[in-house]
Amino acid sequence: MLFSRNWLGDYVELPEDPRQLADGLTAVGMAVEGEEARGDDVLLDVDVTTNRPDCMCHLGLAREVAVQRGVELQHPQGDPEEADEAAADVISVELADPEGCPRYVARVIRGVSVGESPDWLKERLEAIGLRPINNVVDVTNFVLWEMGQPLHAFDLDEVAGNRVVVRRAEDGEKLTTLDGEERELSSRVLVIADGERAVALAGVMGGLDSEVAEGTTDVLLESAHFDRRRVRLGAGELGIHTDASHRFERGADPGVCRRAADRAARLIAELAGGRVLAGAVDAQAEGFEEKHTAHGRLDLARLEGFAGTDLEAGQVESWMRGLGFEMTPDGAAEGTAWDVTAPSWRLYDMEPGPDGKIYEQDLYEEVLRLHGYDGIEATLPGLTGSDGPRTPEQVRRDRMRDHLAACGYAEAVNYAFHSRDMDASTAHLAPAGSEPVELTNPLSELYSVLRRSLVPNLLANAAFNRRRGVESVRLFEVGHVFWREGKRVEEREAISFVCGGTVGNPWDRPLELDLFDLKGVLETLGEVLETEIQVRAADLAGIVAGAGAEILVGDEVVGWLGHVDEGDSDGYSLYAAELRTERLGIGVMGGTAQAQVRVPSRFPTVEADYTLTHAASVPWADVAAAVEADRPEGLAGFGLKDRYQGKGVPDGAVNTTLWFLYSHPERTLTQDEVNERQSALTAGLESRFGWQS
Amino acid sequence: MADSGSSIDDLSLDQLRERFASQADSVAASGDRDAWEELRLDWLGRKKGTVRQLLARMKDVPPEKRRDWGQGVNALKQQVETRLEELDEALTAGEVAAAHAAAAVDVTLPGRRPAVGSIHPITRVIREMEQIFSELGYSVAEGPEAEDDDHNFEALNFPADHPARDTQDTFFLQGESAGGDPLLLRTHTSPVQIRTMRERKPPIRVICPGRVFRFDNDLRHSPMFHQVEGLAVAEGLTFGDLKGTLDAFLKRLFHPGVGVRLRPSYFPFTEPSAEVDVTCQNCQGSGCAVCSNTGWMEILGAGMVDPRVLDGCGIDPSVYSGFAFGMGVDRVAMNRYGIPNIRILFDNDERLLRQIAV
Repeated sequence: MLFSRNWLGDYVELPEDPRQLADGLTAVGMAVEGEEARGDDVLLDVDVTTNRPDCMCHLGLAREVAVQRGVELQHPQGDPEEADEAAADVISVELADPEGCPRYVARVIRGVSVGESPDWLKERLEAIGLRPINNVVDVTNFVLWEMGQPLHAFDLDEVAGNRVVVRRAEDGEKLTTLDGEERELSSRVLVIADGERAVALAGVMGGLDSEVAEGTTDVLLESAHFDRRRVRLGAGELGIHTDASHRFERGADPGVCRRAADRAARLIAELAGGRVLAGAVDAQAEGFEEKHTAHGRLDLARLEGFAGTDLEAGQVESWMRGLGFEMTPDGAAEGTAWDVTAPSWRLYDMEPGPDGKIYEQDLYEEVLRLHGYDGIEATLPGLTGSDGPRTPEQVRRDRMRDHLAACGYAEAVNYAFHSRDMDASTAHLAPAGSEPVELTNPLSELYSVLRRSLVPNLLANAAFNRRRGVESVRLFEVGHVFWREGKRVEEREAISFVCGGTVGNPWDRPLELDLFDLKGVLETLGEVLETEIQVRAADLAGIVAGAGAEILVGDEVVGWLGHVDEGDSDGYSLYAAELRTERLGIGVMGGTAQAQVRVPSRFPTVEADYTLTHAASVPWADVAAAVEADRPEGLAGFGLKDRYQGKGVPDGAVNTTLWFLYSHPERTLTQDEVNERQSALTAGLESRFGWQS
Repeated sequence: MADSGSSIDDLSLDQLRERFASQADSVAASGDRDAWEELRLDWLGRKKGTVRQLLARMKDVPPEKRRDWGQGVNALKQQVETRLEELDEALTAGEVAAAHAAAAVDVTLPGRRPAVGSIHPITRVIREMEQIFSELGYSVAEGPEAEDDDHNFEALNFPADHPARDTQDTFFLQGESAGGDPLLLRTHTSPVQIRTMRERKPPIRVICPGRVFRFDNDLRHSPMFHQVEGLAVAEGLTFGDLKGTLDAFLKRLFHPGVGVRLRPSYFPFTEPSAEVDVTCQNCQGSGCAVCSNTGWMEILGAGMVDPRVLDGCGIDPSVYSGFAFGMGVDRVAMNRYGIPNIRILFDNDERLLRQIAV
């Protein structure tokens, strides 16, 4: 928001050095974000926060400067000379929506000659980027930027029946606003109407028909207080944002209406001639208070305890008074505690708590920003020990990430939303009966639904890398997935990883990544998390037939993996896995989970091999399960040593060679003992799986 | 071993000694293991070795000369053995050297690299922040990304239809929460603070890292980004404690000499509020385009928890006080790794990610 240094100087003595003014404003919370010299003036771009509409005008900002510098604030002159005729005899005001408009001050100036504004006024307005229009309209804009009160001037001749009614618009009611747009209104919008029709959008913009223009002789000046929610609703619904709506939405000063009207009437009479009719019509809703009725208590000792610094009572009192707070010394603690009421321009900033009192913290803030944050010593809280350990979920997430990275995968981070097409590509893998969660207001179709799976984004990342000539892709992501069952939205954590391409030195030992590289990561992830993970062949849409599987923990399917079906793709094949994490363990941690290791025997082990010729359709998992089921005594380990199909092996069969390792905890096993156990085991395997030609 | 052809019968022990010495010299010169073996057999062979033959001839030597002769043969044997041993060592040394020479490689050839993955820059920065706060006694709290209006706004003193909401352009979702409330994508991780304060009693010290979403997509903004927020609530916490905590944190996150500055500002959920700047990490305070020549960069927002927020969470603001702070993670990560554009963070280009190895 732009402010003119010269204009501020009308109300307060400024420091010589412009830099000092900017730094001072920033230090009290009015951040100066830019300065620009303009002739003999300096324009300040000030970020006035939404809680301080009172500083969205030169007088308000000057008050901050005055208090900080300990100098007087000069108020502008109001009190116009008045004619005999009384405004109340000319116009009437009716508050038909007292909640939307609790106060409406109207003054009348007769016999003005509308023309160009004098140079000083045009310069002031142009300095802050406003376009001068005519002497009457310019005065209303000037007073808005001077005192913060939005005003509106009507051509009284266009106000039918000299009657002002502040009411809700009728649904479908039409009004052409000052910008020339014809607008259709709804009953949510507050309007100013005359005896016949709407003539202005309350607190937002005037109507074209009643604007003050050349030829206007009598002016109705409006200085009202509108409810901020009502103005926001109206401005939002019509898509209009004006200097007036900006202030009303944030909360204007209900106490300034009359003073602002007086000030503007005086200036209009000065610049455009005419007679200011005596008095004003000051319509107020029942129970309306132009001043804050809530009180608060400011106790210096409590304030010092809150701030963590010592403060001087006299200084605190003078700052608060300077800001407009009424400070009555509290009898019980003379000089160090006060009963406080807030000025009308801080009404919305000082909303009382459930006990009807102004929060003491609201008052502390005023003192501390004037004291300056620099002057408060940095200390550390006196809290000892730890708030608590990492949760199991956090430990699990750390371990998953570290494990995937240790397996050579790079962590990816993607948006939580993607396109409907991407959702459809893995829809079959989402929980049965689920729907994607749609964004009501997406940025674009590309980001229109929350992801039910992390895989589509990872595959897009993989394709991005592949297109750029990256020889191998190994990516993982940990993130939330979302879905909807009926209306109910579910949100869970998942981990996904994809791989493809060739790793290793191409001149030496290249390795083409495939499904089993991915599966190895899955298996070791299970070990790291101390979770028994099973894989079961499954036909999955989007996955190459015969190269997909479900991932199970216990009986529950928690995910899937497979060779991604990319149709007729140019690049290397991609493999993907995804699993939801809530059924996964966390690994060993502080007594919440334990893993008992097997201490290896100190005695020599005995090895044995066995080759089984079986139908190629027999899965390895069945063979391994059969060994587990008949596990001989002393079998320390077994595994797959070789798979062979070709010469010497019947068509449709495969030679599977297993290795076995035997040991005994207290002695060396003899070869005879091992042979005996092996024969029993292999006879069983042979009879169950052996090839029958 | 072929020699001049003279039989040992014709030679004196002295001559034999000379003969061995010359044969040994030529084996040494050849460096040939087979020649050495032949020499050994010639002289020490159990059946036909010269020494053996000489000893077998003892019976032919007149008794009075036997003693001298025997000593002479033994001396010869000693000499042969010693010299053969020396030769053996020299040959072995030569063979080892040859084997080593054969094992020489071009050590500048590329190594076989084990798979080394990487943790995303954002995760790394979050972990670093968690680590620092963990040392200050904080725990980590988490919450859903699909939030309801109460937790994201209302309880944080953003009333409905308040302009403060304009700064938090919000994505709204179809569907509702388990409690039947309409949902939105959280615009900050502050709702986790609300959840924490409603679930627990003070003292509380938590940080809340996570993904957040705002309706914003241009060169400088991404519709999704990351925050780490912090909250401490206890009896007697002061504004000075907030300053000290941020000072300790920022000096660890950047460097011990970093300047930290607090400016009064406004957030609905804190009061008083502050914008917190650190010395510009691009120019170290001398002024540059990144910091608009101010020498400072805005790093986080902070303040004392607004009493309305405490009240709404059932914590009496006249007894307890608290402070809260929040910062964007993405910009810190970009600054730390020299990433010029926020969108690059979400490209997931392995050529970039893998430069930041685990």
